[in-house]
Amino acid sequence: MNVERLNGLSLEALYALAEKMGLDLPAGLERVFVVEAVLEAFDEDNEERRASGDAAIHIEEKKFSGSELDEIDASLDAAPCIVGRYNETVIHCVPRDHEWAFAFWDVRDDEQDLLKAEGGFSGFFLRVVKNPSHDGKGSSGFDIPVEDDDNHWYIHLPEQDTVYRLDLCARFGAKFRPIAHSHAFRTPRSVLTTADDGLEPKQAALAGLSGIDHLMIQNLPDRHPSRILGGFDD
Amino acid sequence: MQTGTIALVLNAHLPFVRQPDYPRFLEERWLFESLSETYLPLLRLFARLEAEHIPWKLTMAISPTLQAMLSDKLLRERYSSWLETQLELAERELARVGSDPVQGPLARMYHDLYRQNLEDFNVLHGGNILGAIDFYFKKGRLDLLTSGATQAFLPIYRCFPEAVAAQVEASVVSYRATFGRSPSGFWMPQLGWYPGVESILAAYGLSYSVVSTRGAMLGKPTPKAGSYAPVACPNGFTAFVRDVAATEAVWSETEGYPADPAYRDFYRDIGFDLPLDYVGPYVEQGQIRTFTGFKYWAVTGPGDDKKPYDPELASAKAVEHAENFLYNRARQARKAAALMDRPPLMVAPYDAELFGHWWFEGIQWLEALFRKAQGTSELAFTTLAEYKKNWPDNQESLPEFSSWGDGGYAGIWLEKANDWVYRHTFKMIERMIELAERFPNESGLRERVLNQAAREVLLSQAADWPFLLRSGKSGSFARKQIEDAVTNFNRIYEMLCANTVGTEWLTRLEKRNNIFPSINYRIFRRKR
Repeated sequence: MNVERLNGLSLEALYALAEKMGLDLPAGLERVFVVEAVLEAFDEDNEERRASGDAAIHIEEKKFSGSELDEIDASLDAAPCIVGRYNETVIHCVPRDHEWAFAFWDVRDDEQDLLKAEGGFSGFFLRVVKNPSHDGKGSSGFDIPVEDDDNHWYIHLPEQDTVYRLDLCARFGAKFRPIAHSHAFRTPRSVLTTADDGLEPKQAALAGLSGIDHLMIQNLPDRHPSRILGGFDD
Repeated sequence: MQTGTIALVLNAHLPFVRQPDYPRFLEERWLFESLSETYLPLLRLFARLEAEHIPWKLTMAISPTLQAMLSDKLLRERYSSWLETQLELAERELARVGSDPVQGPLARMYHDLYRQNLEDFNVLHGGNILGAIDFYFKKGRLDLLTSGATQAFLPIYRCFPEAVAAQVEASVVSYRATFGRSPSGFWMPQLGWYPGVESILAAYGLSYSVVSTRGAMLGKPTPKAGSYAPVACPNGFTAFVRDVAATEAVWSETEGYPADPAYRDFYRDIGFDLPLDYVGPYVEQGQIRTFTGFKYWAVTGPGDDKKPYDPELASAKAVEHAENFLYNRARQARKAAALMDRPPLMVAPYDAELFGHWWFEGIQWLEALFRKAQGTSELAFTTLAEYKKNWPDNQESLPEFSSWGDGGYAGIWLEKANDWVYRHTFKMIERMIELAERFPNESGLRERVLNQAAREVLLSQAADWPFLLRSGKSGSFARKQIEDAVTNFNRIYEMLCANTVGTEWLTRLEKRNNIFPSINYRIFRRKR
């Protein structure tokens, strides 16, 4: 991004770009001020990107960049133009990293109607089941209340290298009924399987030479006091 | 005495961007630019090294989508036409700045580049780049890997082993059709690995791949040799390990070699700098500014005030950086070798398009690496296949779920900007498995319909689309690719449920999305 490229954009496109970048610019600004504000925001953004240390991915972007549409495109925030749901009762959960998993779900319209027609229905919730066994029960777990119009959440999972399953449940007062469950999945590790002080001296030296410090691979698991940090959306 | 071995791995990949419905299409430039600045210059490098008997070894992965585009008649013709246009612009540039002592030689350099590309592509290779690459495989210089059919980020689809197997099977079939033999190595798209994927890969005769350092180090048990030797999964599948130091020296956007002030700046391009009246015929639709490939400025520094590009200075810097790379690898190898019972291996995987396209001097750097290494006995280059043959026994360890993306897991391909994709791709997979089970023995028109459905499922899974949605670059294009695949698939699904098939529509779709011509929809059947 540079002045020349921004100068190639219309004032309208510049305003759209500024808005997309979270800038609240007053209407009627002269072009030079809009360009300046956008450039500043880009610089800040670049700093953040550099700090993220994600060089491989940033460089990969280069083979796709190529036109001023990149900037205009970034200013468009259109929702997908395809059907948003398939009217089925389902829940999926995909591990994202050692702490978070992405869950998305839906409840069929007629099933929702039936549930709501039953006495005492008070809404849906997600049950996170730890170490689910074949009989469907787990060693422990916790519940996450969701609104009727929610259909996806990022779930914070307290333990790495642990198998979980998500159940979508309907609540009836003090009782509940599971209506769908996800595949069981395991959260990946972020710590060495052999504790650092358990590595042989040569192995520890080679692990160091392999860059485990650079990768911020932990020697001991983090313990998070909070079990649920909620989704990123809105 | 040899103390270390380096395996350079170049992953050549572009998503399927063929758009026959339009006379020209912006995203097809991704292919044309990569051909011009990476693939053809790489082939010229290989030829030079061969001619001068310089020993060199390289591993390359060529994705099935790229294979399909490089084999496609329409895209070959379009590339040839695009080169003619580039030559026309080069001639206009010579007229514009030819007498300028600074820009004149650069204009001549670009003129030579495009003229050489045109000649190499049409005359030397007859449009068949893949045949030329295969030539070096047969000479034992190149190891050629395959990759996921559309470069799906496989860990996200692990709950659908049928879908992962379909990505692998379609890629193996594509490789056989292109190169006339079965592949042995597999490039994990984005180095996206998960425990269990090795069983699927091995079922297709694949025996090795590369994983991230994180994935290997978090493996079970912790590898004794760190990243300096591959590990053997419990089923015998070999996982080579990415070397952090060797890759960072090149990858780092701010501290890597490509950031050196002497190198050519990627962003300053006459497509953005000169009046539209002049560059109009060479940008999109005469009015959307794009990169033209004509760049006259050096990286210089972070600001917009750039110094003129000096190719001689940049070439000298590429040689200096090659020496630095070898020096540091030798140091690294000496330290590791003292702790090991075999020469340490340093696996350096990169996107191929980094070389030449983004890092203009990257091909010269590669050339200098091989030339300089020739004069040392300390380091040797190898391919993954050669190393595996020489060192068949490795410590058993199963790598952990990981990738080379930010954070080391799936965060790049699964976040707010792109998570909506998976509701659709998961549903398509479920429905495709259902169709494959319901119609196991179809032939004729219905088989064609089912095969097209399978193509649309694979196309929807390309990791490039969520990647672009996240980065904001070409996001609407990426969104449209997914929406089109979902819409096409759902229409097919409904047609099959209603037992009606629109032949004309199907034929049009087959012509447009003509990737994987010999696909067999049954690859989505449940594995029993």
